[in-house]
Amino acid sequence: MAGAEMIDNVVHAAIVMTTPVLLAAIGGLVNRVGGIVNIGLDSMMLAGALLGLIIASSTGSWGAALVMAALAGGVLGLLMSLAITRLDANEIIVGLGFNIAVAGLVRFFLKSAYGSSGTLNLPDVARLPRIDIPVLADIPILGAVLSGHDPVTWAAWLMVPLTAWFLARTRAGLRLRAAGAAPQAVRALGLSPLAIRDASTVFAGLMAGLAGVYLSIGVVGIFNEGITAGRGFIALAAFYFGRNRPWQTALGALLFGFFDAFQIRLQGRGVPAELVQILPYAMVIVVLTLMALAMRRARARRA
Amino acid sequence: MTDSLATTAPLPVLRWRNAAATIAPLLLALVLAAIVLGLAGHNPLEVYRLLAVESFGGAKRIAATLAAATPLILTGLATAVAFRAGAFNVGVEGCVFVGGLAAAYVGFTYVGLPSIVLLPLALIVSVLVGALWMLLPGLLKARLDVDEVVTTLMLNFIAVSLTAYLVNGPLLAPGSANSATPMVDAAARLPKLLPPSTLNAGFIIAVALLLLYWLWGSRTALGFETRIAGLNARFATASGIDVPMLIVKMMLLSGAIGGLAGGIHALGTVGRFVSGFSPGYGFTGIAVALLGRGSALGIFLAAILFGALATSGATIQLFSDVPIEIVSILQGMVMIFAVARFGWIVSKWRGPR
Repeated sequence: MAGAEMIDNVVHAAIVMTTPVLLAAIGGLVNRVGGIVNIGLDSMMLAGALLGLIIASSTGSWGAALVMAALAGGVLGLLMSLAITRLDANEIIVGLGFNIAVAGLVRFFLKSAYGSSGTLNLPDVARLPRIDIPVLADIPILGAVLSGHDPVTWAAWLMVPLTAWFLARTRAGLRLRAAGAAPQAVRALGLSPLAIRDASTVFAGLMAGLAGVYLSIGVVGIFNEGITAGRGFIALAAFYFGRNRPWQTALGALLFGFFDAFQIRLQGRGVPAELVQILPYAMVIVVLTLMALAMRRARARRA
Repeated sequence: MTDSLATTAPLPVLRWRNAAATIAPLLLALVLAAIVLGLAGHNPLEVYRLLAVESFGGAKRIAATLAAATPLILTGLATAVAFRAGAFNVGVEGCVFVGGLAAAYVGFTYVGLPSIVLLPLALIVSVLVGALWMLLPGLLKARLDVDEVVTTLMLNFIAVSLTAYLVNGPLLAPGSANSATPMVDAAARLPKLLPPSTLNAGFIIAVALLLLYWLWGSRTALGFETRIAGLNARFATASGIDVPMLIVKMMLLSGAIGGLAGGIHALGTVGRFVSGFSPGYGFTGIAVALLGRGSALGIFLAAILFGALATSGATIQLFSDVPIEIVSILQGMVMIFAVARFGWIVSKWRGPR
């Protein structure tokens, strides 16, 4: 019985740790399909986590916190996008610059406004509610998979088929793909590929902001400057791992969520957490290498 | 993608165009940071004056600034070398970590060797380990066209976690609770130039490498070929330059310099390897290379600037209530503006491309 309970706990924790990575990865995926590699996701998560916590404490409404956190991420996404599309700045450098500047701004703000270095603990934070599904909750494993999760987790997983459908089946999705792959074609339609890219970065910001507030009011209940723990980059790893396909990206996010959950368990058994933390990043390098090898073999066969 | 980063030659003198293009992002960042300071109730001009005094007012402070600039000269140079070849290496941070740990390991393990053997040995090991760290992304980029931005970015996280594992486990100093190696032998320490300041011989090594970089870029065939490859890889290939091989070479060189930055930081300043060894020297190096527009003098000045901000930022936090994070805010904004092209203004400066 204890073993089954432990499995349930790990499954539940893994799904919780998957949610922020999945949200940010879906945003980054859409952004990349539109033609921008978003290295700044982590900064948007951080901003969302902080603003969301403040709103959740001052209004007592988790809904308001989600909206404001998403907006914070969206505004940062817009600024970043404008620098890339209108000022012709390199996306990688701008992304790294945003991570550094926003992390600085957040800490500056914490010290100036709250006199606190790094951590913010506010009273009466509205936490995300848990949706318990009767009967199902008592079934082993299945109960842990489906029951006891919050609305954001459900929304994150709902985004996966929605994004797949949007990219493959809608006119806007086609235009987004064209903005990334064939901007001339978009221009020929009388549309601006740059504006479409901006929209995709704003979307990535909204999703990353949600991912951030999920960490602060969903998981921990306080804010810490290290709260994202590089999850914006894990999200990047996830959509590179998934090669821009929503379901594969979700699989990558789930895998990294399981690593995250296992790492806490393994620590108690003598396996160093640092080595487990390497796995997602190493996997991306391996996957990219295998993909490149497969492409080269395919090209050689054709020739 | 990288063409705009490699266009300027490592000229000894900055032409006014380049100077203007260098100062513009800095000014913009200063103005925006001034708004942040103003909103927080500080007088930005007073803060900037304090920063300047704390960085350059007196020999002691200048020594502190140069000491802080030392790793940044090297990481800026490491970044510039790769950018010049058209390889977008954002993995210098990881090289600083592995190079630093490697130098510290040699420094506390081979105790008893005379300084003249131990110190160069430790530095050479940091160079080799840094270069090895960039071998994989270099080869993957050159042979399979795997995006080096992603591989080097991922390798940063791997380096941080791997070194953290090593200093928490196998290489943890006996009896030490915090994650740090034992102190290196006195024979492995880089000599101090102006005690009690931490300014050490590493600064001289860094400046010497900058001079070599300038000579290499302007006087040697390899430097010329690298520049051509960075500007236009197809033209370079057509001219008989083996571009993939060149990229591997430059990635190794970039890693070697990044590893040396770590080695010098370990043997000159810290005296061992601790977790959280680098406060982002590799990333600041990207800002340094961009702001310095890849030129030797530009890198030197930009490294001094960021070194000054780092030391004076720490002091003014003690004396006034201005948070040191104003330095990160400035640095991030400088990076963003350094790559932004302000269309109509800059097109005049740059001339036909």
